[in-house]
Amino acid sequence: MVQDHPLLFLIWLMPLFGAVILWAFGPQLKSMAGPIGSALIGVPFIAALTMWSEATTGAGAHQALFSWLPQFTFGLQLDRISLVWTMIITGVGFLIHVYSIGYMAGDKAFARFFAYLNFFIFAMLTLVLSDNFVGLLVGWGLVGLASYLLIGYYFERPAAVAASRKAFVINVVGDIGILYAVFVIVAKIGAIGYGDVFSHVSKFSSGELFAVCLGLFIGCAAKSAQVPLHTWLPDAMEGPTPVSALIHAATMVTAGVYLIARCAPLWNASSDARVLVGSIGALTALTGAILGCAQWDIKRILAYSTMSQIGYMIMGVGVGAYDAGILHFLTHAFFKAQLFLGAGIIIHNLANQQDVRLMGGLRKQMPFAFAAMTIGVLSICGIPGFSGFFSKDAVLSGTLAHGHPVMWAVGVLTAGLTAYYMFRMLFVTFLGVYRGNVDPSELGLRHPELAGTAVAHADEDEHAHVDAHAPAWLMSGPVALLMIPTVLIGWLDAGGDGSPWGRFFEPVFGAFVPAASTPPDVLTSLIVLMLVAAGITVAYMRYGNPAALLDAIPRLRAETVRMPSALTHAFYFDAAIDALFVRPSIALGGFFSRVIDPHVIDAGVREAGISANWLGHLFRSFQTGLVRAYALALAFGAACFALYYVWIGAGR
Amino acid sequence: MIGFVVLALLMIASAIFTVTAKKPVYSVVGLLVNFIALAITYLTLHAEFLAVIQIVVYSGAILILFVFVIALLSSGTKPFEPGPNRMPRAVIPAVIFGVAGFAAIVVAISKTVFAPAVIAGATGDANVFGSVADFGTALFTTNLLPFEVTAFVLMVAIVGVVLLAGDEAPGRRAPKRIAREPISPPREPIAR
Amino acid sequence: MNAPVEAYIIVAAILFFIGVVGVIARRNPLIQLMSIELLFNSANLALVTFARSWANNAGHVFAFLVITVAAAEAAIGLAIVVIVFRKTTFVDVDEVATLKG
Repeated sequence: MVQDHPLLFLIWLMPLFGAVILWAFGPQLKSMAGPIGSALIGVPFIAALTMWSEATTGAGAHQALFSWLPQFTFGLQLDRISLVWTMIITGVGFLIHVYSIGYMAGDKAFARFFAYLNFFIFAMLTLVLSDNFVGLLVGWGLVGLASYLLIGYYFERPAAVAASRKAFVINVVGDIGILYAVFVIVAKIGAIGYGDVFSHVSKFSSGELFAVCLGLFIGCAAKSAQVPLHTWLPDAMEGPTPVSALIHAATMVTAGVYLIARCAPLWNASSDARVLVGSIGALTALTGAILGCAQWDIKRILAYSTMSQIGYMIMGVGVGAYDAGILHFLTHAFFKAQLFLGAGIIIHNLANQQDVRLMGGLRKQMPFAFAAMTIGVLSICGIPGFSGFFSKDAVLSGTLAHGHPVMWAVGVLTAGLTAYYMFRMLFVTFLGVYRGNVDPSELGLRHPELAGTAVAHADEDEHAHVDAHAPAWLMSGPVALLMIPTVLIGWLDAGGDGSPWGRFFEPVFGAFVPAASTPPDVLTSLIVLMLVAAGITVAYMRYGNPAALLDAIPRLRAETVRMPSALTHAFYFDAAIDALFVRPSIALGGFFSRVIDPHVIDAGVREAGISANWLGHLFRSFQTGLVRAYALALAFGAACFALYYVWIGAGR
Repeated sequence: MIGFVVLALLMIASAIFTVTAKKPVYSVVGLLVNFIALAITYLTLHAEFLAVIQIVVYSGAILILFVFVIALLSSGTKPFEPGPNRMPRAVIPAVIFGVAGFAAIVVAISKTVFAPAVIAGATGDANVFGSVADFGTALFTTNLLPFEVTAFVLMVAIVGVVLLAGDEAPGRRAPKRIAREPISPPREPIAR
Repeated sequence: MNAPVEAYIIVAAILFFIGVVGVIARRNPLIQLMSIELLFNSANLALVTFARSWANNAGHVFAFLVITVAAAEAAIGLAIVVIVFRKTTFVDVDEVATLKG
């Protein structure tokens, strides 16, 4: 009999409680909403910590919820995979809550923000703590809703509203994929619990298994912004920066990675699915990196880099290197959150100006932000010693060890590109001279080729700066705290195959023995280092060296003007989706509205009424009022009865 | 057999005359002949009491009632002016239905086997079938409840008639009478 | 009995349908009521015939009750006719089609 762990209820429900309280009593709580919301995330973090030992023994800690149908039992579970995700969600979530108290200070709907953030944490916990596919799907949908609410937080901006709608619709496409997979699972196996499903994987035929994996992966692709369902992520940067940090960098977009890691038995059994997932992951990594080189909005650069890094994670868990993929998730959560929060400090201090061309020289004005961003950039590029180094190499060497050299090559190339564009961002933002006072047209802004990149938001001020600023420690504290794991957490995987990280996940995924012909991991590390060095060098030559810095304004302008339109239009994905799906849908809707609705549906309803009318007139013609007519009808009926009984008969 | 044939022809002829006579008084006379022929038929069927009741009640009371009403309705006016027939040629379907029903009955009869019972004893003796004593016993013992209820029905009829048609003060000068309406124009088509 | 049972029943049936045609084909309500009396009598004839055929009194009793109720019904029917046509110059059922709808 599985033992219950009621503490899981606390972990799961406390953020929901917070969301409800903050949403209901927001206006009364005013600025107390921030600390309350943060505390209600901090407590689950500590609770999850205390459950460490229970979570890591055997099949983890379990708490049954309810049983709806005999095979459909719902419950919570905290095992090794869930534990990693829960710690990140609540831990990084807590830090971002504290940061938001400073960032969103003075905002007129302060409590609403924290209510939505708490709700998001609850939804994400539902996703990772469920022990069955349907609970996962519920959490999946709820995080989509939370994302919609938070991207559209500044709902008076039409761009934000459009972006939140786009994110939601694309996520729904993913939901359909997962729903289909759940249908196949229930049809074949008849149960929804992970344990039940994974112990009966052999019941699927290979075609069905691929269909299930494909359905699940469509959900992952939508949620984790993989090609071709990635177009919502750059637009999602319309939300406040803490939202981008928490949802669109650290946690929600990694739900796809969680799903694949959780369903490892399914993926282990289907090599076609593995090839598909790995290829899409590699392709996304490369696409995100290429597009990141063309962005001028600091948040969009980070958005594309998120897309690219998640491509790495998906590639890692897709090919079977599960612990490598999860490690990259872990390190990415920290350094991406740090990058976003650092960018948030910059944006906050520059009154919502986000275009890097109008920045420059901030190293002297905001040294703390510079330090934070630099550490984050060093980590993401995979500089040895920083956490990203360990995780990225783990993913790449894992890919090679599982026998996918092409994906490995793409990943290695992407690492070089990542270094280039991250350092480009760093140099353009922090080095040189501050360009905020320069006339924007000198830098090429508001140029016709600009469609697709963000225009500066400097003319809109979302924060009503009524009171004095919140203390700076609220924002710099979390960022400072994040620096530690950004640098150090990768060391968990030091030590090759016997590393603590590898041993931690061995009970879940098993030990993998690579083929004898696999090149050693050191080869991967060396090649990546070479490409990273090359990328940094190119970035330095173009943006960082003193000659380039002196010449910054004309160079930036030239780059803006000469940017290929394929890059400014993000490889025309948006245009393609618009032409293939949006316009036909609108046309179909118009057709229904102009033709079907008035002439078929309304006509049917009208005709129903008219035919009732006609029938009434018909029956009215029977009511002559003449007694003789009624008597004739009686005679007719009597004759019919008589004939019936004689010829057709009643008995006899 | 001859007697039956004569009676049957009489009944049918008088019925047809009743239904087709021009004036109601002629119909009453026709009906009278029909009732008398029917009473004699009852006599041949060992239903003596009923034959007498038929003559006394039916011909003697109900037909007189009809005559009185004919008189009442025709007082002081040109009686029974024929107007336009709103259901011309309604006879045709009526006859068709009648013939159909009749055919059904004939077929039913042809499929039935009748075995009339033998009646022992002289007509009119007490406790022989059809005698008054026999009928009285049946009416007042086995069928007492229907008898009482029928009495109630008759009372209701009396009360009803008094309520409905009483209360007309006599002796006033003749009131203006409503004339017949012209035939109304055809109804409007269904509005679309 | 003078004739087979079938003969009596056929005569009753003929009388019945003459009555039906009378109700439908005549416009004078009094003649209609008289046709209805024909219907009652044909039913009575059938009842009495079968009573004789099975030597059962119930037929006689039933016929007796039918006569009684027919009397009551005729009375009420005639009262209605009197009321409806008291104030009119015509006695024609087709003219009082006030329930026409």
